[in-house]
Amino acid sequence: MADIAIRTRGLTKTYGDIEAVIDLDLEVSQGQVFGLLGHNGAGKTTTVTMLTTLLEPTSGAIEVAGADALRSPDEVRRALGYLPENVQFYDNLTAMENLRFFAHLSGVQRPDDRIREVLAYLDFTGFEDRRLGAFSKGMRQRIGIAQAILHSPAVLFLDEPTSGLDPEGVHQLREVIVGLNRDLGMTIFMNTHLLSEVTKTCTSIGILRQGRLVFQDTLEATRASFPDNASLEDIYLSFVPAVGA
Amino acid sequence: MTNTLTITRKELLDVRRNRFLLVVLAFVLIAVVISVVVSAGQFRVKLDEYTAYVSALTASNNSATPPPPQLFPLQLLRGSVEYLEILGALFAIVLGHGAIAKEKQRATLQLIYTRPVGRFALPAGKLLALAMVWAIAVTAVFVTVLATLAIVGHATFAAIDMERLLITALTTWLYLVMWTAIALGLAALTKRLSTALIIGLVLWLTVVLLLPQIGDTMDPDNQVPGGLFASLQIAKPDEKAVLAHFSAFDTARNALEVSSVTKHFERFTFAVLGIKDQFNQQPLGVVWAGVWNNAVSLWVAALAALGFAFATTTRTALMRRTS
Repeated sequence: MADIAIRTRGLTKTYGDIEAVIDLDLEVSQGQVFGLLGHNGAGKTTTVTMLTTLLEPTSGAIEVAGADALRSPDEVRRALGYLPENVQFYDNLTAMENLRFFAHLSGVQRPDDRIREVLAYLDFTGFEDRRLGAFSKGMRQRIGIAQAILHSPAVLFLDEPTSGLDPEGVHQLREVIVGLNRDLGMTIFMNTHLLSEVTKTCTSIGILRQGRLVFQDTLEATRASFPDNASLEDIYLSFVPAVGA
Repeated sequence: MTNTLTITRKELLDVRRNRFLLVVLAFVLIAVVISVVVSAGQFRVKLDEYTAYVSALTASNNSATPPPPQLFPLQLLRGSVEYLEILGALFAIVLGHGAIAKEKQRATLQLIYTRPVGRFALPAGKLLALAMVWAIAVTAVFVTVLATLAIVGHATFAAIDMERLLITALTTWLYLVMWTAIALGLAALTKRLSTALIIGLVLWLTVVLLLPQIGDTMDPDNQVPGGLFASLQIAKPDEKAVLAHFSAFDTARNALEVSSVTKHFERFTFAVLGIKDQFNQQPLGVVWAGVWNNAVSLWVAALAALGFAFATTTRTALMRRTS
């Protein structure tokens, strides 16, 4: 059995009377590209903010890359990379200065060399000295991926990574995600509601419905266990009925 | 400590490239210089009137020579100090608010806090950077003021004058850092950034403008330009005897004034610069004996503001309010 990169037990988050995430038991093996699916408000972002130590759960346990997120959060932070939805960075700073800032915070040794190495890997060279204010959404997203992998994390969290990107940007980002998993063996956890992206990038999926995990399996097993020709959309909607259905 | 300095460096770079802030700081500088030039001009008018008066006396064969108006250059800084206490505080609120607002709006807060940064690295880094920005701005303002006084007012400065200017500059720096810390804390404390800015501006309006203004308006001596008692030619001991009958009123008025930290800043700096006549040309020891309570109040307020900023700008508090 593969080592577990992310494990939660009874993970719950409530805001007063509102239950955002309820009793979540989740396991993501190392080397997987895991897609967490769900409608808007299903609890996807709350889950990822708890997994990335940004939000304290009301109850339950989180383990990321073998470290307990509640007892040793800094250990978890050293092992994870994160790209939130719609991150914009600092417009007045150049790409290099933005990345240098996050490299220093992550304790990266010889940050400038590492930044050039990462930008070359992402095929994004020649923009280092340009201020981010002039960058397109797709270019910012590349910088976002670069800052998230500067310190070679074991697990990469992406929150709605294709949000707001044009088709070309979506295609490029997909290539990057698949490449990171294939070339570096990085475990990737992404929130999305774009089922087409899940089909093309993920190896396993989980479906959240009103804060509860109603399904989790590998994409291959999921397809095998459903009737012939059932699309991922059909499968998804069988767990999470469309509004008004 | 390393992460704190990393945040400080980034913040300084960001501020240096922020055109809006550079314009705002230039505006303060220009306002202060104009106030010194206007004060110097007013003194020259007074001097011209004196010369004309002496000439008229001489022409009428009157040998009496009234004492010439004396120039105390530091007294010309009254307007500058008032601009710094009003406009400076306003810009400090904008600066402090912006330091947290941009991180919240751009989602960079989540990036910073998914790094192993210490609990107080963010507020410490931000406040250190903004304190440095104010140190540079205040130094620029006082050097410019000094140059303007020397060029426009033909003033010369003794070592004691430089000491007084230095103390005033340090006090101004502390006052501006205090407002920056308050705004930073408010931006971290509230979920909606507009709410934080509104609270900050209401606080500024109350503390910087309303309370001191109400106190000033209640002062009987301020009812007539030049002073009520002076215009009635009432001597100082008699003035005190009259005011003794209104001690309760005066205590209430004073309490209202001292509830404003801006008034403490003003009283202290006016005393140090000799703008307040009773402290003009007095040794610093005498000045300190008269206004030490204002200095202590300002320090207590500044430390409380810093404590507030540190308490509200932690990872747990900030992420709770941005989630």
